[in-house]
Amino acid sequence: MSLSSPFIHQSKTTAQVMALVCLALLPAIAVQFYYFGAFILINLTICSLSALLFESLIMYLRKRPILGTISDNSALLTGLLLGLALPPLLPFWMSILAVLFAIVFAKHLYGGLGYNPFNPAMIGYVVLLISFPAEMSAWLPSNEIATKVPGFTEAVQLIFTGSNNQQNTVIDYRLLADGFTMATPIDQLRAGLHQAKLISEISNDSHFTAGLVYWQWLNIAFLTGGVFLLFSKIVRWQIPFSFLFGILITSGLLYLYDDQAYASPLFHLLTGATMMGAFFIATDPVTASTTPKGRIIYGLSIGFLIVIIRVFGGYPDAVAFAVLLLNIAVPTIDHYTKPVIYGHNKGDIDE
Amino acid sequence: MNQNDLISYTQSSFHGGIHPAEFKTISNQTPIDCLTLSDKLYLPLEQHIGKAAKLIVQQGERIKQGQLLAEADGNFSANLHSPVDGVIESIGLINTNHPSTMMQPGIVIKIDDTSQGFTTSSSDNKDWQSLSQEDLLRQVQQAGIVGLGGATFPTHIKLAAQSVDTLAVNAMECEPYITCDDRMLQELSDQVIIGAQIAAKIFSAKQIIFAIEDNKPEALSSLEKAIIQCKLAVPMTIKVAPTKYPSGGEKQLIELVFNKQLPKNKLPVDIGVVVQNVATLQAIYQKIVKQQNLTHRLVTLTGSQMEKPGNYWVAFGTPIKDIIQKLKISDKGTTIILGGPLMGQQIDNLMIPVTKSTNCIIFEKQQNLSKPWLTKSIAHQSCIRCSDCESVCPVDLLPQQLYWYSRAEEWEKLEETGIKDCIECGACAYVCPSEIPLVQYYRFAKTHIRQNHEKQLKSEKAKQRFEFREMRLERAKAERALKHQKAAEARRKAAQDNNEDPSGKQKAINDALERVKMKKQQNQGEDK
Repeated sequence: MSLSSPFIHQSKTTAQVMALVCLALLPAIAVQFYYFGAFILINLTICSLSALLFESLIMYLRKRPILGTISDNSALLTGLLLGLALPPLLPFWMSILAVLFAIVFAKHLYGGLGYNPFNPAMIGYVVLLISFPAEMSAWLPSNEIATKVPGFTEAVQLIFTGSNNQQNTVIDYRLLADGFTMATPIDQLRAGLHQAKLISEISNDSHFTAGLVYWQWLNIAFLTGGVFLLFSKIVRWQIPFSFLFGILITSGLLYLYDDQAYASPLFHLLTGATMMGAFFIATDPVTASTTPKGRIIYGLSIGFLIVIIRVFGGYPDAVAFAVLLLNIAVPTIDHYTKPVIYGHNKGDIDE
Repeated sequence: MNQNDLISYTQSSFHGGIHPAEFKTISNQTPIDCLTLSDKLYLPLEQHIGKAAKLIVQQGERIKQGQLLAEADGNFSANLHSPVDGVIESIGLINTNHPSTMMQPGIVIKIDDTSQGFTTSSSDNKDWQSLSQEDLLRQVQQAGIVGLGGATFPTHIKLAAQSVDTLAVNAMECEPYITCDDRMLQELSDQVIIGAQIAAKIFSAKQIIFAIEDNKPEALSSLEKAIIQCKLAVPMTIKVAPTKYPSGGEKQLIELVFNKQLPKNKLPVDIGVVVQNVATLQAIYQKIVKQQNLTHRLVTLTGSQMEKPGNYWVAFGTPIKDIIQKLKISDKGTTIILGGPLMGQQIDNLMIPVTKSTNCIIFEKQQNLSKPWLTKSIAHQSCIRCSDCESVCPVDLLPQQLYWYSRAEEWEKLEETGIKDCIECGACAYVCPSEIPLVQYYRFAKTHIRQNHEKQLKSEKAKQRFEFREMRLERAKAERALKHQKAAEARRKAAQDNNEDPSGKQKAINDALERVKMKKQQNQGEDK
């Protein structure tokens, strides 16, 4: 191999970048642990282990170095993100299915790290969302309002067998004291609006407010991790800021139009996967726009689509769809937002 | 002159750039020294951009220090002089730093007396100011001076520029390790200034601007003092730029100093600027004032493997093995780099000599420099499109796209994405978290594109030649046909005339034919 310059290199490597992003997930993991207990740890373990396993398998089939690839930590990150995104108490095989689609189909069938046009974790998530909508939209009540709170062994039994030794199934744990099942605030809001309730009425519901508190803390936790990533210069400000700004503007306009039919911007910013999407999903460098201007357009569009899908669509959350839709648009965005090369004039494509 | 007017800070910046560890204090703390000679020098004939110089001495010939050995071959070539008194031992192929690693034409000189140093004591020409522009330019050309910043572009061509009003002096020296310009300004800024004044006189510049990074305070103050003391005509100012690699790139320097970009496909002269390196100006001083041709240069010899790192006057042709031997450099686990760590060239062959382009040689421990992608089990990690490279690119390219297209060998896309604007500064590869040797990909792609263009040009020429030949044959055929047709017509007409022959024309013809026959018979008779 002929040796060519440069001969020095800064110390930050891809593996370290990925590891730091994993580290930045800790606050969110802590919040989920606080509200749901052991489930989250089991989910995370299943997802990250199967992610590593699938990646090793593919590397083996592709006759590539297994350890060298796994040690870039990108599969681990995908696993952790899925583990955090999937609802607690999801049967283990569904989680594994999501990871399978994320790692094998969305990532490696396109050529592996760096070549996938779609965010792998979001593909895994969407596959489950479309295939098992009921399981994917059901959330556990947080420990504070739940009728039954499972311990670690019960959680393991529930995830792997669907019931514990008292023959309680997952559904029993979803029940609230009044016989309703727990849903996310976005779902509750949508259901309420369908029943022609006003937002002021819906937000008086104690289930709604209890759920809201959990989601707000979760979003604050992701935001904390995100700020850490911003300061350690792993994530640039353009995508998260424009993403959140897109949500703010779109939901703000709707809210100003009718504050009883459309939720406030604050609700949109602090519920669902907003902060996770802004700092951990949309910022995935592989699938995001790579030009400075393009990143702003990319983030703004995702924010806009999230509010539109949440308000006018039928799915529990919209981050995954919005991100995937914009993933498709990235080559076009990048093409039209190329920076002007030194000494060139704006708009002159060479020759 | 008011001090506030003399020094100003740059108001503009260029896109991107990096801040690598500088390692400059390794070599800029000690005074300039002179490297003693060994027994032989190995002088390549091509030490500049353009054609190799034409040899004018013969094997076995005795030569003097400063004597012309090889003449510039064409305008873009440069003269080459002997650094020493000695004998031409042989003429042939020698090792050089040519990127192909193939040997190049050169001369081996056996040195008479290894104690002969680099003297600065030759006769002064205090009276250079009375010389005409043409005389000065001719002398610069005779001395074989080329751009000593590393580009080795013949200086006389730049100085022959018309209607240029500014001489910008590149004292940025932005690459880590290198300190030869820094040290030269610290010790010899009066000489550099005179060199600048001479250059300015040659093309009638109205001002001289020194551009320097803010990490060289000693050089700055020495330069400032020298400017204040200088009584010469052309006004001089200093622009200080924040330390950021690659501020010493010509385009970046122009953006920093003049707050505008050099339009594409334009040279600095097109916007009225000539950029010269500090060492080049000192070489001009050396020629015009000291009457010495360019035979030595200041080289930064540095790195943690050296006992006495510093800046040394080194004779052209000194092989690296002699430097290692003279300066007791440990060669165990040593990586040798010609030039800086970001744009330099790693070399293994110790017979490679110092030439006009050698501004720095780094002798560094392998682990401090070795490129990460060479020591790891897999080639390099995948590009994750983080675009860190985009944010450091000083010419605002999209390096990740260039990499993508280089891998896919999409030459046209590469050209559209601006690969020919890449200055190969290495900032992208420096920050790449996947440790991809990006510059290597770009060089590969550039070579391919150039070859494709050449091929295209060739086939275009061949096509033109073929088409011209076809046309020529076609035309000849048409001409022949026309001739035949005319002849046939003439015959037909003649036949008609024959039938009629009203004016006795036919008779006249017959008579003529008779005469020709007679003549022929006569001739035949003579032949026999």
